[in-house]
Amino acid sequence: MKFSTKSEKSNLYGYSNWRYKAILIVVVGFLAILVIGFIGLNFGTIAIQPKKILSILWHHKTDDSLGLIIWELRIPRLIMAMLTGMTLASVGGGFQGILRNPLADPYILGVSAGAALGACSALAVQYTAGLYLVPFLPVFALMGAFVAISLVYLLSRKKSHLPMSDLLLAGVAVNFFFSAIITLLLAISRRETRSMLFWLMGDLSTSSWNNIYWISLPVFLGIILLVSSSLELNAIALGEEEALHLGIQTEKLRLKIFFIGSTMIAIVVSFTGLIGFVGLVIPHIARLLVGPDHRIMLPVSALSGSIFLIICDTIARTIIAPTEIPIGVITALVGSPIFIHLLKRRNENNGY
Amino acid sequence: MVTDFKPIVSLEDVTFSYNHHPAIQEMNLSIYPGQFIGIIGPNGSGKTTMLKLISGIITPQRGNIKIFGKDVRKIPRKKMAKIISMVPQESYITYNYKVKEVVFMGRIPFINQWQGETILDYQISQDAMKKTDSLPHAEKGIHQISGGEVQRVYIARALAQSPKILMLDEFSSHLDLSYKYEIIKILRESLKEEIQCIISVFHDLNLASYCSDQLILLNQGRIEKIGTPQEVINNYYLKKVYHTKPNIIQHPELSIPQVIM
Repeated sequence: MKFSTKSEKSNLYGYSNWRYKAILIVVVGFLAILVIGFIGLNFGTIAIQPKKILSILWHHKTDDSLGLIIWELRIPRLIMAMLTGMTLASVGGGFQGILRNPLADPYILGVSAGAALGACSALAVQYTAGLYLVPFLPVFALMGAFVAISLVYLLSRKKSHLPMSDLLLAGVAVNFFFSAIITLLLAISRRETRSMLFWLMGDLSTSSWNNIYWISLPVFLGIILLVSSSLELNAIALGEEEALHLGIQTEKLRLKIFFIGSTMIAIVVSFTGLIGFVGLVIPHIARLLVGPDHRIMLPVSALSGSIFLIICDTIARTIIAPTEIPIGVITALVGSPIFIHLLKRRNENNGY
Repeated sequence: MVTDFKPIVSLEDVTFSYNHHPAIQEMNLSIYPGQFIGIIGPNGSGKTTMLKLISGIITPQRGNIKIFGKDVRKIPRKKMAKIISMVPQESYITYNYKVKEVVFMGRIPFINQWQGETILDYQISQDAMKKTDSLPHAEKGIHQISGGEVQRVYIARALAQSPKILMLDEFSSHLDLSYKYEIIKILRESLKEEIQCIISVFHDLNLASYCSDQLILLNQGRIEKIGTPQEVINNYYLKKVYHTKPNIIQHPELSIPQVIM
């Protein structure tokens, strides 16, 4: 960029440089995640003093039980919550952009039900055939997710184009159909019920460093790819034909966003189960905070999604400790009042 | 004003149908630079379809469409976006972008993804807003301004795309009288600058007559008549196409026909 003088940098003809804004937001966001994450570390079944936590973190102590609790339980779980929140929110934002529908969420294309069904059928096979399939659950979840999204795509595709309304309806249908099969599996196989329920309610308690290694690369790569499609997503908001007139290959872009988003969601769902509401609400909040420009909105979504899920998970594991509440319950309980409040405020301000 | 005798848009024997319903039939047409072309005709006569064909949004089942001598099908979309820009009739913008952001979207075809926009992109967007008197609304949300203001923003966006061919689909339906004059003046002036040709669909015959150098009268997917407003807007053709007897008078100051009720 050829910005020469300082005054031009900050404000040029009413336009400001979004890059500075984006970098500032990312830095502030990560600092906020650090602070909120640290506060979250303090809560748990066993109370650990903040000073003690700092020293455990500083010296990387894993030789006593407190060190193990911090390093092997709470931190992996924290990072998992962060990555999951990031994924759900940014994919939600991307899908809302490409579908031109503010009520779209990352699960709308049947991805979640597919992933859950994949995992549940693996568990059912394990139960009946006696094969030990637990380590391969993510693979089955991924396969399930891709089966679901291909089905949705094939069902809604017309000869030359892809009507959005058909796509959404096909997504809803596939979602219900797959969910019904999951419930059926649950009803038949009594022994695996608990581990299957996990897929439906969302659970971060199985987070481990190993899982984090698996998902962090696809998550960050996916977010970068989504953010790099921001300008095209902005053009899509003008309408399908308008976007074509701006040189956007809408069909290609749609496939790209679907593929990236579904892969990210499938990977995350395969480790955490279905956590609702994040992908729907957070992009709205981001849009209210910084406006609809995807170049800013998507990073803000990702960061707020992280913060939101860290807070929700902290509540979920501590509020009636030692019993845990499924995190999906908390995200909905916390998220829906916020959402309604924001919608009301939005109407008062006549749009957002 | 014809500076170049090669047509910039040419249609050769173009036929297009939507699910076997013919919309455009065996159309032949050449459009030369420097002209304001108006397309008129009854509802469903193929006006908007014609714009879509020329801009390559849809491809004809038969025939060829060429822009600057090149087959439309062989021009990549991004390159096409630098040649043609379009002011839509009506379109809903999903999210409440600021006016300046919407105008800036006209620069999207020119922005290199990794280098980002330059000062020039901002300047062009700003100029387009100034021309259409949208600058006072620059910071407002597109959902907060009136229909006429939105239309001016769309025109600003299309100008920001710095096209060689500007296409408009009934750009004036929400504009009040003063802005109609103003926008037409801007469009005519832009014809002397970088824009080589304006193609606009009109519903309002009087406005079409006022704006256009050449009128194309469509009837059931075929060209009924091409010519100056005087040649096209007369009792014979209007009766033939609209099946009603029009009252035509001459404009008191300009030598153009006007249709009254």
